[in-house]
Amino acid sequence: MEGTPVQNDWYFILLFVVLSPILAAVPMLINYLLGPRKPNFIKQQTYECGVETVGDAWVQFKVQYYIYALVFVIFDIEAVFLFPVAAAYGQLPLFAIGAAVLFILLLADGLAYAWGRGVLEWV
Amino acid sequence: MTGEQFVFLAVSGLTIVAGILVVTLRNLFHAALAMMLSFLGVAGIYIMLGAGFLAAAQLLIYIGAISILIIFAIMLTRRMMQAQDTPFNSQAGAGLVTAVLSFILLVFVITRLWRNEIFDSPPEVPTAIMNQIVVQLGSDFVSPGAYVIPFIVASMLLLAALIGAVYVAWPQVEDEA
Amino acid sequence: MEFTPPEINLLIVAPVLIIMAAGSLGMVIDLFMPDGKKGWAVWLAAIGLLLALAQNIALWNGNYETFIPQNGVAMVVMDNFAIFLNATFLLTGLLVIPLSRSYLQRTGLEKPEYYMLLLFSISGMMLMGMANDLILVFLALEVLSIPLYIMCGMLWPRPESEESAMKYFLLGAFSSAIFVFGIALVYGATTTTAIPLIFDAVAANGLNAMIVTGLAFLMVGAGFKVAAVPFHMWTPDVYEGAPTPVTAFMSVGAKIAGFAALLRVLMLALPQASGEWVTAVAVLSTLTLIIGNVVAIRQGNIKRMLAYSSIAHAGYILIAVAAAADNPSAGVSSALFYMFAYLFTNLGAFGMVIALERNYGEGNLLDDFKGLAKRHPWLSLAMAYFMLSLTGIPPTGGFSAKFYVFGAAIEAELYWLVLIGVITSVISGYYYLRVVYLMYMFDGEGQLITGRALQFAVFVMAISTLVLGLFPEGLFNLTAEATLSATRLLAGG
Repeated sequence: MEGTPVQNDWYFILLFVVLSPILAAVPMLINYLLGPRKPNFIKQQTYECGVETVGDAWVQFKVQYYIYALVFVIFDIEAVFLFPVAAAYGQLPLFAIGAAVLFILLLADGLAYAWGRGVLEWV
Repeated sequence: MTGEQFVFLAVSGLTIVAGILVVTLRNLFHAALAMMLSFLGVAGIYIMLGAGFLAAAQLLIYIGAISILIIFAIMLTRRMMQAQDTPFNSQAGAGLVTAVLSFILLVFVITRLWRNEIFDSPPEVPTAIMNQIVVQLGSDFVSPGAYVIPFIVASMLLLAALIGAVYVAWPQVEDEA
Repeated sequence: MEFTPPEINLLIVAPVLIIMAAGSLGMVIDLFMPDGKKGWAVWLAAIGLLLALAQNIALWNGNYETFIPQNGVAMVVMDNFAIFLNATFLLTGLLVIPLSRSYLQRTGLEKPEYYMLLLFSISGMMLMGMANDLILVFLALEVLSIPLYIMCGMLWPRPESEESAMKYFLLGAFSSAIFVFGIALVYGATTTTAIPLIFDAVAANGLNAMIVTGLAFLMVGAGFKVAAVPFHMWTPDVYEGAPTPVTAFMSVGAKIAGFAALLRVLMLALPQASGEWVTAVAVLSTLTLIIGNVVAIRQGNIKRMLAYSSIAHAGYILIAVAAAADNPSAGVSSALFYMFAYLFTNLGAFGMVIALERNYGEGNLLDDFKGLAKRHPWLSLAMAYFMLSLTGIPPTGGFSAKFYVFGAAIEAELYWLVLIGVITSVISGYYYLRVVYLMYMFDGEGQLITGRALQFAVFVMAISTLVLGLFPEGLFNLTAEATLSATRLLAGG
């Protein structure tokens, strides 16, 4: 079955998907096979020099960070919507540009609201 | 087996296995990571269907933003980080039965249709190159001849969601409360 | 790429544009207003709703379509059906605002966000009535739902309000997903999402399993929104936990919008599948009527009782939908009439619940109604009248509505459905009239907190219910015209 042109474009990506883990894995594998091993207590520690870690690496984050992620989701979606519009920009009539601008303005309104509520202040 | 079939099996296998892991892993954080893997598999299926832009959107929105949001939510909640409870509750059996029945129904519906009804020939796969599809999509989004109303309504939806998210998640200002 | 400029007439979509503009403008004004001044928002919302209502009525009988895509089917139609529904939603908004005012002040909720989210939600409902494409139906469903999820949770950090928002959000998101899957299946079978083109595709190729399955998914999704049994489990908890004005708005607006989507899908996209869906609708209707009315008897909390009552009323409207399979004009127009009458009656009843609620969650028990008649004779009379109307005793709007619905069902030969409807109406009399009994026959400490706005709104609704009870023909003719203009599109005119 012949791939369509659309899919052919993506075979390069597939090539990367296959090759990149190999590229990362091969040096580690060579290292593992060739490197000499003489473990002792000092070498086995997490940090050979510096302070011993205390407690769990899982720490609770500040709740305020969550809202950044929330706002980010919204604007990420906006960017995805606007990308094709930007690609078609050259051939759009005035009304269409107006619609795109309205789209941006509405979300700017939301951003302004978030700003007014103090969401954008770093804490 | 052609290369395309092999890729399809790999991608859909990834999606399904990761999807099963999402609901069975005991550590919520690991489940979230498995979910990202499942999203990645879905993006691969979109590519195979010739919907490259949708795949890019899937990567950007689901893996880039929504999964991060979920991981944030897990990291913000101390109790959830340590939760190692069983992911099943008393309704798991009923859920399984429902899921299996729906699956059988859908397989029946979709394959029967595919064989003898409206599509005598399979629908056309878009043969245009990616750039043209994206340009066409962009102009359809904003032309009054196509999807400008849904486009603007979508931005209203995002605006309402943003206002709601900020209102619910951000602490009230003291002088208002 | 060729580009032929299509006809653009923004006046046609002006009603919904006005609401959207007022909503987003409010968020801008909010930035520049000092925190102490919050009074402007209510006027902005009210003026926006009034302007939209005026423009909406001006479009009556126009049968406009706007933004014609290349395939010749409009994304949005402004037929009388859409105009009638828009008027219903705008009136709901206009009546909810005076009902909310004093409640919001005493619960510390009076913020611009409340009114702006209300406007956003109304704009979604209006789009639902106007949508001529399943993509737009879905977007409208989301635009109306998301502000409602937030409004339910507006009283956070109180756990009941949070629980309400969370339950509504989870089940709402789930039902939206089912709805969108239904759209996908219908699209897969017909290769279009435009409602008239789905009709054409089915007319040309006939039904198949995929379309019917898609239809079933669409009905489940809409069933959640209108709270039909067995998709009603969220309703009592959500209605109880949400701030009462939001409950009032939700019980009327969201329900009517859900029926708008259901009618568009069943009557305009897939009427040829009526043989398939009429049984499903009739079964849903039967279950909804029985469970809604029987469980309502056992409720001691007025908000939960009205939640089950609203489930039961969805059952009566479903009778009309089932009747529409055989008899489209009578079925659809009686459904529209029922929803319009239900708006005034139910909002009026909720107005009294709002007035009785001293603070969030206090004064919601049925026992709190004891002895109200002595201290507030006029408002108690209005409440008693609303209860009679919800039961369906003449001369009330509720009676006229049930009369038309049962009439349509009899014409469609759905006798057993009418029988169940009549029996459950009698059962419903028990719990509705108990409120009247408690108000008039007992002594109690209950006090109403009423402002002039609330009294005026309750007065308007009582008069409207009375007018609909005494002179229903005028409205019924309007609903008949609305139905005719929607089915005109079906005939290919």
